[in-house]
Parts: sequence; C-alpha cells; structure tokens
Amino acid sequence: MSSLNVKKWLKLLGAVFVLSELTAVITGPPGNPTHPWEGFHGSIVDQASFLGLFTTQRWAAFFVYGLIVSGAAYVFRTQKQFITRVGGARRTVTSNKTVKFTFSLATIVLVVLLPTLVSDPFWQNAMVSQIGVYVLLALGLNVVVGFAGLLDLGFVAFYAVGAYATAWCTGALPLPALFGIHLNPFYAIPVAIILAMVSGIILGIPTLRLRGDYLAIVTLGFGEIITLFANNLNGITGGAMGTAQVPHFSVHVGPVNYIWGIPPVPYYYLTIAFVGLFIVAFSLLEHSRVGRAWTAIREDEIAAESVGINPLKYKVMAFAIGAASAGFAGVMTAAQTNYVTPATFTLALSINILVLVIFGGMGSIIGVVFGAVVIQTITMYLIHNPPAGYQPQDLYIYIGALLVIMMIFRPAGMIPARRRSRTNASVDSSQE
Amino acid sequence: MDNLFDVSNVTLRFGGVVSLSNVSLHQKRGEILAVIGPNGAGKTSLFNSLTGVYQPQEGVINFTAKDKPSISIIGKKPFAVSDAGVARTFQASRMFNALTTFENVKIGAESHKGIGALGAMFRGPATRRDEHVSDEQTWSLLEFVGLKDRANIIASSLSYGERRRLEIARGLATNPEVLLLDEPAAGTNPSEKNELTDLIRRVRDDMGVSILLIEHDMKLVMALAERLYVLNFGSVIAEGTPDEIRSNQNVIDAYLGTASEEETDNA
Repeated sequence: MSSLNVKKWLKLLGAVFVLSELTAVITGPPGNPTHPWEGFHGSIVDQASFLGLFTTQRWAAFFVYGLIVSGAAYVFRTQKQFITRVGGARRTVTSNKTVKFTFSLATIVLVVLLPTLVSDPFWQNAMVSQIGVYVLLALGLNVVVGFAGLLDLGFVAFYAVGAYATAWCTGALPLPALFGIHLNPFYAIPVAIILAMVSGIILGIPTLRLRGDYLAIVTLGFGEIITLFANNLNGITGGAMGTAQVPHFSVHVGPVNYIWGIPPVPYYYLTIAFVGLFIVAFSLLEHSRVGRAWTAIREDEIAAESVGINPLKYKVMAFAIGAASAGFAGVMTAAQTNYVTPATFTLALSINILVLVIFGGMGSIIGVVFGAVVIQTITMYLIHNPPAGYQPQDLYIYIGALLVIMMIFRPAGMIPARRRSRTNASVDSSQE
Repeated sequence: MDNLFDVSNVTLRFGGVVSLSNVSLHQKRGEILAVIGPNGAGKTSLFNSLTGVYQPQEGVINFTAKDKPSISIIGKKPFAVSDAGVARTFQASRMFNALTTFENVKIGAESHKGIGALGAMFRGPATRRDEHVSDEQTWSLLEFVGLKDRANIIASSLSYGERRRLEIARGLATNPEVLLLDEPAAGTNPSEKNELTDLIRRVRDDMGVSILLIEHDMKLVMALAERLYVLNFGSVIAEGTPDEIRSNQNVIDAYLGTASEEETDNA
C-alpha cells in the first residue's frame, strides 16, 4: 500500500519536473543556426533570480516554481471538494452579508491607498494605463459577452472610437475640432461615449440578427475596418502616425484650476472613480429587467421571444452599453498618454480583453475586474522584471498556460457569475 | 362571432416538404381546444405558425383579443405575437436555466412594460412601482401553479412536472388571452398528469384564459378538451367533440394505419 503511494508521488514529481523543465526550455534564450544547442543549454544552466530572493540555475528555479504551482493546485483541489460538499461551489466566500461588506470596504480602502503603497513610477503608470483602462474595457465587454452572450471579437473598435473622438474634440486631429474650439478632454467624455454607443448601434442593428460564430466573424471584421480607417484616412485621423497632441484633463471652475499632468496618480483616482461608477451602473443593470432579459436571451432566445422579449432590441442595447465603457476607456488612454495611433487598436487587444473576461468569469462583474487586474499585473510584472531569457512574445505562453490551468480547475472563471448555467452558452455554441 | 383564432387555408412549406396543407380551424373565446394527430402530422408546425415562429406561405391567421380589432399573426415576430396576447409552452421545456423559478416567471410579467436601460440604472419611482407590480404578480402566479416554495431555486434543478408548471406560470405572466400548450404531459408521471389536468382547467376557469392544447396523452385530452381537431399529414381530417372523434373512422385509420375493427382507446 505504502509502496504504491510512494510510486504515485514519484510519478507526480516526475511529471512536475518534466513540465517545469519544458517550460524552462520554451521560455529560455533562443538558439542560433550555428550553435543550435546553445539556447537549450542556456535555458537549463543560465542564472535565474528566484522571485528576486536568491539566484540559482534556471532548471532549479523552474522546478521550484513547478512544485509551488502544483502544490497550490493540489490544495485548491482538495479544498474545492470540501467546498462543494458543504453546499455549492458558487456561494463560498462572499455569501455572508457582513463578510461581503467588510470585503468590499477593505477593497475600496486598499484601492484608494494603493498609490501611497506603490511608489515605483512604472507601477503607478501601469495602474492607470494598463490596469485601470483594461478594467474598464473588461467591464464593457462583460456586458456584451457575459450578460447578453454575444461573442464580440472586435470590441477594440469602440475603444478606438472613444480615443479618436477625444482627439477630435480636443482638436488634435487633422480634422477640424468638433465644436471649433480645442476642448479639454472632460468635455470629450460625453461625446466619446455617445459616439461609441452610436457605433455600437450601427454595428448592432444589421449584425445582431446573426448568431454565435457568425456574429464573432462579423465583429472581428468591424474591428479591422475601424483600424484600417484609422490607418488610411490621413486627412481625418492622421494616418499611421496618429496624433500626439491630445491635452491632459483639466478643471477650470471658478477658483479651482487643476491640470492632470504627467504624474499618473491623479489619473489613477480619476480612473477608479469612473470604474466605480461603471461597476455600480452595470450591477444595477444586471439585477434589473434589462439584465434578466439579457440572461433570458442568452439562455434560450426562442423562449425569450415567446414571452415578449424583442431579442434584437436587447442585443443592440447590450452592444451600446458595453461600447460606452470602452469609449470612456478610449478617453482615458488618449488623455493620459496624449497620443492616439492605430497601432494600439489591434485584433490582439480585442482577444486580450476577451481573455480578461473569460479568466475572471463571464457575466460576473467582480470576476472580470479581478481577471483584468490579475492578468494585467502579471503582464506588467513580466515586462518590468523579466525572468532571464524572457522575450516579449513569451507573454502569451504564460497567459495561455494560465488559461489552460483555469479551464481545468475553474471552467466558469475565477469568480463565476451566479447567473450562468453550467454550459457556457455564448462561447460554446454546441450546448445542449 | 366571438372567435379567438380564425385560421383559414394555411399552407406551410419547407422547400418541397409540405408541413401544413390547407389547414382551417377556429377557436372560440374561453374554449379548451385540442389538436391531436400522429407524430409528424404538423401539430407543432401549426403552433409555430400561430406564434409567429414560422411564416406560412398561404392562408390567413387572425387573432382577436378581447375588445380589440382582429390582427393577422402572419408576418409578426414571436415577441409581437406575445404582446398581442398569445402565450405558449414548448414541447421540450425551454426555461431560462441560469435563473431562479421566480425570475423565470418575472421575466414574463415584466416583458411588456416599457422601462428601458436608463430607468433600470437609476431606479426611479416608476421603475420601482413596476418592479413591485411584477413581483406581486409573480408571487400570485407561483402560488397558482404550486411552485411558491420553489421560488428561489435555479430552474434547471426543478423536476419535469415542475418545469411544465413553471412554463405555464411564465406564459400566464404575460397576461395572455390564450395559452398554447405543446404536449404538457410529456414525461410526467400519472400523479403529475392529474395535477396538470386540474391546473389547466383552473387556468381556464379561474383566469379566463383560453387553452389550445397539443397532446399525445388521450386520457388527458379526452378529459380536458371541449372540441378537437385531428391533423394527419398536415391536413385536418376531423373535427368535433371528444365523443365524435372517438368514433370517427378517419381518425381510427390515421392512428392505426389501416381500417380496423379493433377498439382503440389509446394512441
């Protein structure tokens, strides 16, 4: 009996070792044609810092990483069985009202104090442009994919519309400024949101008659069209160079004169204020008549129609509302970085946003915020503290591995939505 | 003339396949009407034509709600048909599995009210009043169908019979004039069947909602229906009271395939 156990553990250990070393080799330095073994050799024996604590050879560092990850997976698994046994994996941590309240309060305090805790300018900047903005994007896409169950692969288009609308209002484009004067980006917010919503409606009305895969293809095309427009309409968008003259936010009301500038912290507070606003608005929506209608359409469109829900109307509504937060994200990006170029709005970014939503938990507002924060933090960490031999394109290995692990242990996302049947209707079109 | 449905000469084709051919029928207000027929006779196609899911190529389907001018169903989308006062259930029950029993019914109750996204976001007094009305209606319907104690569980964990009753409640929540039931007794056990018979009768008697029923279970049909139409190969082959239908030679032939002297009391 015990020898069997030892055998089992050795087998597991071997598997972890093989997988860890494989990861070490895949992520290690590249070889070259004359010395094909160099990359492999380097991947194994190069010095690597282990979480900045000590330095060791890569093979050992990766093995320890592997052990930690599999240990965590083991703990999670045993705990998950326990959680399911005591009643539903869904309502675990946040079922109790006081726990929920304390948790939210702690989160808010932490979020507000975060800039004082994080002093590294890289991270302060990342918290706005790479995490805050992506949270906004994920919140918007969650309305479309999570609530209404529409797979949108061109979500970046609305982000682009928001950014270009800001540039337009502030007079940064070759196109004459919207109201003839160069406004500060605050005034661009309503314009950007409305334009993004209108483009959502324009795209939605003809395409939302399609279902599943067909809709995904059409939205993908729409995303590409917007990028191509931005790239080629030199006289309007500034072409491939875009524009670098978007001003910062500023307030000039009576005695108050404040200009947001290069330091990211004021932008951070502005971003989290709007993130909070969108979270509140979207959760009110989720628990309203509109949210229920979206769920009904997602679950069974024919049945929803039979009780009097007009699916097209609600789908277009989801597109427009999701687009609103992406449009706002566009304003933030344009104003903070001062530039807008078509190179930002790629298909890869659309997929990236979708990954945030899927990782966090489709249809779960807390989930997608969590997903966006975690994935973007990992991304930024890898950029800021690259492990030895790390190449920028390796990022997708890590994100991909994370998604695979997530799909095995938590197929409905890290913080699953309450309102989702086991089969994920929107992405899995072959659901019964 | 107080007819709810006036269907005349409806023909529905899918490519070369004729699903309904020259079907005419009518339903009086307040009537429990049943449509029976062998498998593939076109019963569900008829239902789908009456609810706007299918668009027949020929013929007229008129629906007359109480104190309203009659309207043509053909050319209307299913949600518009629901607005007009036609509710339905499905052969394989179609619920919103991710929602609770309560929410399933509430969707029906609120789908005809005009609160949009802004109203939902800001929770104005009108929205809250509407929510309150929908909640009240939902609770009373859940009580009516006997699912009140199951209100807060996820619909996918209901039993077969409970799902049938949930679908009926959801349909009734839309305040219909007529409820179309597509094989409500399929997959239910005998005691559930009795409860269902009783429930359907109460829907008509207590709520004043007419019933149009498709059913294979002859016991249930004969107990409930006041009048029957028999479909075979897309055509109406007989019409009459349960007693008339029982002794109709055409019907017996349709169910057994050939003329036979043997007694048939089940289908």
